[in-house]
Amino acid sequence: MALRSVSRRLGSRILNHRSFVASLHSHATSFGFQEVKEEDKSKLVGNVFTNVASSYDIMNDVMSGGLHRLWKERLVGKLSPFAGMKHLDVAGGTGDVAFRIYDAIYSVKRRALQKVDEASLEETQIYVCDINPNMLNVGKQRAAERGLRDNKSLVWVEGNAEALSFDNNSMDGYTIAFGIRNVTHIEKALAEAYRVLKRGGRFLCLELSHVDIPIFKNLYDLYSFQVIPHLGELIAGDKESYQYLVESVRRFPPQEKFASMIADAGFEKVEYENLVGGVVAIHSGIKL
Amino acid sequence: MYRTAAKRLLGGGGAFTATRLLRFPKLRSTIIPSYYTSGLCTSSVGGNAESPMGGNQSVNPNQSGHTASSSSTSTGEGPRRDESRKPRAEFQEEQARVLSASLRHVPRLGWTEEAMMAGSRDVGVSPSIVGSFSRKEAALVEFFMDECLQLLMDKIDSGLDLQNLIPSARIAKLIRIRLEMQLPYMSKWPQALSIQAHPLNVATSFKQRAMLVDEVWHAVGDGASDLDWYVKRTILGGVYSTTEIYMLTDDSLEHRDTWAFLDDRVKDAFDLKKSIQEAKYFAQDIGAGVGKSVQGLMNGVMQTMSRRSGGSTF
Repeated sequence: MALRSVSRRLGSRILNHRSFVASLHSHATSFGFQEVKEEDKSKLVGNVFTNVASSYDIMNDVMSGGLHRLWKERLVGKLSPFAGMKHLDVAGGTGDVAFRIYDAIYSVKRRALQKVDEASLEETQIYVCDINPNMLNVGKQRAAERGLRDNKSLVWVEGNAEALSFDNNSMDGYTIAFGIRNVTHIEKALAEAYRVLKRGGRFLCLELSHVDIPIFKNLYDLYSFQVIPHLGELIAGDKESYQYLVESVRRFPPQEKFASMIADAGFEKVEYENLVGGVVAIHSGIKL
Repeated sequence: MYRTAAKRLLGGGGAFTATRLLRFPKLRSTIIPSYYTSGLCTSSVGGNAESPMGGNQSVNPNQSGHTASSSSTSTGEGPRRDESRKPRAEFQEEQARVLSASLRHVPRLGWTEEAMMAGSRDVGVSPSIVGSFSRKEAALVEFFMDECLQLLMDKIDSGLDLQNLIPSARIAKLIRIRLEMQLPYMSKWPQALSIQAHPLNVATSFKQRAMLVDEVWHAVGDGASDLDWYVKRTILGGVYSTTEIYMLTDDSLEHRDTWAFLDDRVKDAFDLKKSIQEAKYFAQDIGAGVGKSVQGLMNGVMQTMSRRSGGSTF
């Protein structure tokens, strides 16, 4: 890390390695297609999500045609939650992924099929961490609607993905769904993920990603730039936030690059799976 | 991949074991006697399997010489090449360790994720890792099948007294040794069979059984590689499977009934072979006989026609 900051200060572009590193960081200073200072990015992102918090879920449904539910199901399926696990869902403000994990662990059908130790069920802890308190409030509200307001297993924590307040080697699983592109320094978030995971713990990231299929790509671009901001205007009353959203997707590293970033953070068996031709990708890694 | 072909091409059992080792390198080092590790070191194919292990794991002393050389080459080249290979091997090793520890829990918990999670806790790894195994329970079963095959190969190579037996007795003995390895898991074996029969897993389990059958025939001393090869292996595969299933419901003392069943089936197979041989000869004889009479008939017809038409020569 120190070496990278030195190279940036010197502005050296002699070695390919250095310019590769510099291009990794270029995302950090982008706010959609605008260039902003790093300090400003988190504030701007904060504003976006404060504005959209209340209609976040509805907009997700409308934009993805309900598909986002399937994507999250797939994510949780891949995770294979088990009773007694300590799980951290980062940027999971409204609790979509956390609720699914909770259901997966506590479902009666699963408990009937497998021999689940009731005591270990008690130990299950699902932490939902989000930088934005408005999003967390929406999540807590939804928990209350499900009757999980006072449930000990779900813990709502306000925190920053780049500086988590959890101990080293404390989590069995870490998920981040549609959150990592909003982080200012992706490498820091990945490093934090690596830190808090136990040995054998899994990192899973669900994120909008790059489409390469020729004609489909054009259709997707058309949909993203022409339709979504107007939907944002219509439903959430906020066109700029959704313009930011689609732009940030384009600026995010493509699948292979992101996979290499994950591997650089120290994870093993780094893989990714494209859903809907690359519109969404699930990256996974294991800490060993 | 099959032993006979591999032996012909590379003139040693080392290649076969090297490709197998690539899948579960770390574990082999704990089970294999010194014979195998030296075989691995000397074979050329083994080179790929060595470098990831040489990098950071401390393995048994036989390989230490090779380790030193491979680590010196790895520091010479850029770190990226080895980095990309080392992580894969580490995960494979971890997986092998977890699966090996899980086998202890199988008689109690079955071939399930619970057993694997218990195994992972034994090894000191978070149970989350089980979520990353492809086709979870199948991974455990396949690991067990591989391990049994490896054990069988070890036993064969460390010297079984096979020379004094006729082929059918040799086959029976080898299959018996292999099936006895499954005895500790007998209570849960039907579950393992159903997992192997699942459409997603059929391909791998078929391949493992094919390797097993090939190994047995090879040990018995069959080096044939023509059409007969397939017939022999198919028949032996059938014998093995039926005996395996018979064993599931056998309550007799020390599974005596199973071994009697096995001997009968092997005898049938050999009788079948003899019967097919006899049938072939019989068909040849008939063919010859019929051919002669047809030929005689044709000659007669020709002569008559030539006489009738006035003796022009043919």
